[in-house]
Amino acid sequence: MQLEWSLALGAFVNFFVLLFLLKKFLYKPVLAMLDKRREEVMSNMQKAEDAKNEAEGMLAQYTEQMKDARNEAQEIISNATKIGEQTKTDIVNQAREEAAKLSAKAQEEIQREKAQAIDELRSEVANIAVLAAEKIVAKSINVEDHKAMVNNFVQEVGEAK
Amino acid sequence: MKKVLFSNIAYASDASTAIATFNSVDFGFGPLIISTELVTMWAVMLVITVICYLGTKNMQREPKGLQNVLEMGVEMLLNFLSGLMGKKRARMYLPFLMTFFILILVSNYSGLLPMAGHAWVEHGTAIYKPPTSNVNVTGALAFIVFLAVIYYGVKAKGASYFKHFVEPLPFLLPINILEQFTRPLSLALRLYGNVYGEEMVVAALAGLLPFLLPLPIQVLGVLFGAVQAFVFTLLAAMYLEEATAIHEHH
Repeated sequence: MQLEWSLALGAFVNFFVLLFLLKKFLYKPVLAMLDKRREEVMSNMQKAEDAKNEAEGMLAQYTEQMKDARNEAQEIISNATKIGEQTKTDIVNQAREEAAKLSAKAQEEIQREKAQAIDELRSEVANIAVLAAEKIVAKSINVEDHKAMVNNFVQEVGEAK
Repeated sequence: MKKVLFSNIAYASDASTAIATFNSVDFGFGPLIISTELVTMWAVMLVITVICYLGTKNMQREPKGLQNVLEMGVEMLLNFLSGLMGKKRARMYLPFLMTFFILILVSNYSGLLPMAGHAWVEHGTAIYKPPTSNVNVTGALAFIVFLAVIYYGVKAKGASYFKHFVEPLPFLLPINILEQFTRPLSLALRLYGNVYGEEMVVAALAGLLPFLLPLPIQVLGVLFGAVQAFVFTLLAAMYLEEATAIHEHH
């Protein structure tokens, strides 16, 4: 152990030289990088948090919208069912009415046809009877008597019927 | 080889001669003597600076290789100091304290290089001597701690820094003042003693048998080199912490 002033002074100065060099080449760049990385991580975490919140908000919104849409669809379906039901009833009623009307009309027609046919048949039968009687009696009776006789006959036939 | 062996034996048998030749490689300019330790220190500083320069000249977002090692080192010490004195002060004093750690660590390890250390001194072939094996170097470093404690203490607390000399009781003033000097003294002597002692043991064993025999001590030297660098830094950090702490009751 001996005192060496040059060495002690040199070591003293050397320390501060090295401190200066390391500040420049080690601490400053490394600490800056560590800070930068920390900030980046922080901001990324913040971003992730924001994105998560946004996604959750959107999910809630979509769920709400889905619910609304489903309700609306349900309403539309039930409305349509109701309208369909109504229309069906209407159509059936209308058809029934129509059918009844047609049926009545046909009945009437038939009645009318029938009456007409009977009338026609009557006169036809009278003529045929006259002709037949003429042939059998051969002008023994005059036309007036004849007609009165036949009319009587036809009357009787009609009544008998 | 034979000559080396002989001279080593001669060294082991006569330690005082060896000590007299310690500075046989030194040269000087007037009153300034450029000793081997000083040259070694410059070499150590050059190596540290070049490594740091290479590791940080092109910083990447994803660190790898040298950059990763440097970042890890800085971050580890920063975290350690944060536990000791809080994040803010750790950040503030990190450059100062870490420079001690790096300088002392690499200095200690410089004694393990071939052609380095006191084992080579005796026959005048030592190119390097670990700077921390010289008490003038460790004394200078401890003196810097001594000054820094006062400087940062006054900077952080102003004149009230000197209050703690009369605390907890005024009559402890002389002891408190004495403590300010015994602390750096113990720093200097602890570091010097450990490194120099290890050097001496290696030299003595190398004198007996240069091959393999000093190896276990040199392996221990790897461990002690790191431990001593850490202890010096830790104690300096604790002294700084104490000097700059703002207590609640103030």
